[in-house]
Amino acid sequence: MAERVYIVLARKNREDPLHHIGSVHASDPELARVYAWKTYDEERWFEMVVAPRDAFHPVNRAEAPFDIRPETPEPTA
Amino acid sequence: MPRFTDEELKEKVQNGFIVESEDEMTESYKKALITQLTVQGDTELMSAPSYFGPAKDAPSTNTMVSSMAIIQDELGHANIAYRLLEDLGVSRHYLMYEREPHQFKHPYGFDQYLDNWAELVVANGLFDRAGITLLGDVHRNTSYGPLKRALVKVGLEENFHLRHGEVWMRRLCESGGEARDKVQRGVSWMFPMGVEWFGMPDDKKRHSAQLDFRLKGMTNDELRQTWLNAVVPLCEEIGIEIPAHWDEEAGRAVVDYEFPVNYDEEEKVWLLDEPISWEQAFDRWKRRGPANVDYVESVRKGRFQLDEMLSKQ
Repeated sequence: MAERVYIVLARKNREDPLHHIGSVHASDPELARVYAWKTYDEERWFEMVVAPRDAFHPVNRAEAPFDIRPETPEPTA
Repeated sequence: MPRFTDEELKEKVQNGFIVESEDEMTESYKKALITQLTVQGDTELMSAPSYFGPAKDAPSTNTMVSSMAIIQDELGHANIAYRLLEDLGVSRHYLMYEREPHQFKHPYGFDQYLDNWAELVVANGLFDRAGITLLGDVHRNTSYGPLKRALVKVGLEENFHLRHGEVWMRRLCESGGEARDKVQRGVSWMFPMGVEWFGMPDDKKRHSAQLDFRLKGMTNDELRQTWLNAVVPLCEEIGIEIPAHWDEEAGRAVVDYEFPVNYDEEEKVWLLDEPISWEQAFDRWKRRGPANVDYVESVRKGRFQLDEMLSKQ
């Protein structure tokens, strides 16, 4: 199955904003959830969510610095 | 077309500009960043098999759990560095599975076998201290936003590894006898490895793109001195002999031999009275140490076994 990059967002406490804490590479959302929870285990998170990076749409700039390219380019060595 | 020239980007990052995506980089910036991230990821990855051997001999269930948690952290840190590299167009599969063992870029210290529990905690105390020294500086100073964010987690966890190492070094030394002797033996071969970890002295090193592009803040000598200022007082306090001392007048730790020197890999003994050139030290690093092939194979084994299992279905 094609792999996608998932953005990981989390917050420590109920009232905190969700923070962009990193990303994982996974073949489906279930694996993305597992990879995110096991990789970013540095805190006792109140809440963690993942979303495919290509689900984000830039709002105020065509080339957003926040990396939301539609597809991961074919990697090269 | 890159948005900036090298000179423009250097000036911008020195004034606090944070790079967030590939199209804000120049080719030279990207190349320097890829090198830095590869060294970082490979170091984290190779620490895992190195720690795994002696972790199996942990003195209690609790300490084994701590050691396994450290190993899991290290694998997570490697994954994060490779994830960042992937966004720069470097294949994670290539990094993990397609390189020859000698092509990995971790320091020579993680090409060595750790023989027992004492050596594992010394590695946590000395090598993780080197990791924190380097990555702490990158965290404070890097001009690459995604790396700065990723290092929040890495910093938190590396501090736990370091504490684990230092607490156990103290504990084993206090108990004396064979436990203390093993700490001494571990420090004797790992301390000079730590001195080498930070690379060529500033007066011999050619111009650093990593400093110009603000991918790090401190020079090799400054980083080495920071490490020495932490490690030397610890060893002196717990009565472990090292070829260095604390200089009261200068207010800093001083190494008592002219490095780099020759190393007897089989006996795990440094020949402190046999100075070599940095070129000879680099040759030794490039040849890789005794555990290199074994460690690289061990982190790949599971994937290959899984592929084989799936191919039979």
